[in-house]
Amino acid sequence: MSFTNFYANKPGMEIKFVGLKNYIKILNKEDIWETMQATAHFMFWTLLLQALIGLGLALLLNKKFKGNEILTTIIVLPMMLSPAVVAVFWTYIYQPQTGIFNYMINFFYDFGEFTMIGDVQLAPWSIVLVDTWMWTPFTMLICLAGLKSIPNYLYEAAEVDRANKFQQFLHITLPSVLPFLLLALLFRGIENFKMFDLVVELTGGGPGSTTEVASINLKREAFEKWRTGYSSAFAVIMFVTIFGLGNIWVKVMNKIKDK
Amino acid sequence: MSSAINSVRSPLEPSSFSRKSAATLIIIYAFIALVPIAWMVMTSFKSANDAVSYPPKVVFEPSMEGWVNLFTQRSRQSKEYLKSLPPPETWYEELVRSRQMVIAGPSRFLGRFLNSLIIGFGSTFLSVFFGALAGYAFSRFKIPLKEDLLFFILSTRMFPPIAVAVPIFLMYRKLGLSDTHLGMIILYTMVNLSLAVWLLKGFMDEIPLEYEEAAMVDGYTRLQAFFKIVIPQAMTGIAATSIFCMIFAWNEYAFAVLLTFSEAQTAPPFIPTIIGEGGLDWPAIAAGTVMFLVPVMIFTVVLRKHLLRGITFGAVRK
Repeated sequence: MSFTNFYANKPGMEIKFVGLKNYIKILNKEDIWETMQATAHFMFWTLLLQALIGLGLALLLNKKFKGNEILTTIIVLPMMLSPAVVAVFWTYIYQPQTGIFNYMINFFYDFGEFTMIGDVQLAPWSIVLVDTWMWTPFTMLICLAGLKSIPNYLYEAAEVDRANKFQQFLHITLPSVLPFLLLALLFRGIENFKMFDLVVELTGGGPGSTTEVASINLKREAFEKWRTGYSSAFAVIMFVTIFGLGNIWVKVMNKIKDK
Repeated sequence: MSSAINSVRSPLEPSSFSRKSAATLIIIYAFIALVPIAWMVMTSFKSANDAVSYPPKVVFEPSMEGWVNLFTQRSRQSKEYLKSLPPPETWYEELVRSRQMVIAGPSRFLGRFLNSLIIGFGSTFLSVFFGALAGYAFSRFKIPLKEDLLFFILSTRMFPPIAVAVPIFLMYRKLGLSDTHLGMIILYTMVNLSLAVWLLKGFMDEIPLEYEEAAMVDGYTRLQAFFKIVIPQAMTGIAATSIFCMIFAWNEYAFAVLLTFSEAQTAPPFIPTIIGEGGLDWPAIAAGTVMFLVPVMIFTVVLRKHLLRGITFGAVRK
């Protein structure tokens, strides 16, 4: 279908083979690059924040204390919820005049009135924040599994060699957790690249097209403009991108593992 | 002497100070993570005015307005008309009357909720059933190109749902499956199957081969051995897999919003469309959200051990 000029809402129309025209059209369009930029921005910051906070939480949870298990469950709760429904209640929390988010921010430092979702500057961050809130537990759990797999004798040996805590962290903990962290980020990266439900209910791609990530752009082309051939081509491009990036990531991961 | 040694803590054990500070930080994070959820539960019990007051009200008079609005359709009536009606029979009628409205009938929420249940359970059952069969085959038999096949199965999950939705939409329109329960069950089964195969293959790898071999020596056929020996052994794994499939089908939004319109629409695309008079009816939306999320939360808390195992499964295996 990606090589034709098929429109799903025009059944009588003759379907023509157009070769690579759709692909050329897509790659030459300027707003596609804006879309990709929005997606990249969203992915970069969510992955960075989730990696740092997730690893931090895992390190803390690994110091076994009372109530450890129940606290883990509480922290994991957000990631079990439906992203679309979560987005709806975050729009309520982000309400400019009455939302609790603005109230809390202004409680600590008075910024005056601002809107998270409606503002061109802040809207991408509102998505990053919700995604981080939802999915940090995922990186946390996988890092935790990694931490638990480190054998104790490594630390014992380090202790004998008089390595201090920081050196132990740098030379034992970090290298052993890194493969797990990268794996978690791979899963999150794939998920975030095709992120749709959260963004569509939170900002709908707006204001303007500042938060129009790839999936939303695709939905607009496919189900609002009904350019089926064109959007199939875009879908293929997206899939190839995910697949390519995923494969590169796996290669990097294996290299780090081998070291 | 020995007691002195015992009282010295091993350098590997975290000190009580670092333990306590870790606990404090975790509690702070858990609290922050819970605030949005708690806020939603509170909002569902607020009256429409309290829900949009500024500064946000933490202490408020509880009201069932949101819940009543969620389940009913109402129409505004004049005071004279309301007076002419017989006195309200139930507490919810009384509540609606006090807002100068009458109940016109039940809302569509319950139907959507039921759709979610039907589609969720249907697709979970099918994907776990087929996943168990395929997982068993992958775990026990020599299959040419096994690794590639397994990776191919997993890669179906990498497609963005929107990308797949276009061809599926066209196929379903031809087959008359769009906006039907059956269509959605088939679709979710297809998506869940990759996860089910992977998880169940892993769980079945852990069951020792000897059990089945012993059973087959005793005259069981392979199928009998599978149902009588392997399935009961893999029950924990099956439970964990079911939960994952169920949660996915329950939370799915992209396919639901594009492929269902009325008959088979599930709750996630419906909840954002709950609209009250003069803007969004936040308490009703909150009530819908809470009702929709609570089953998942209870699931998570009760079955946390299986869940945590399932999530970290892929990573630990490697």
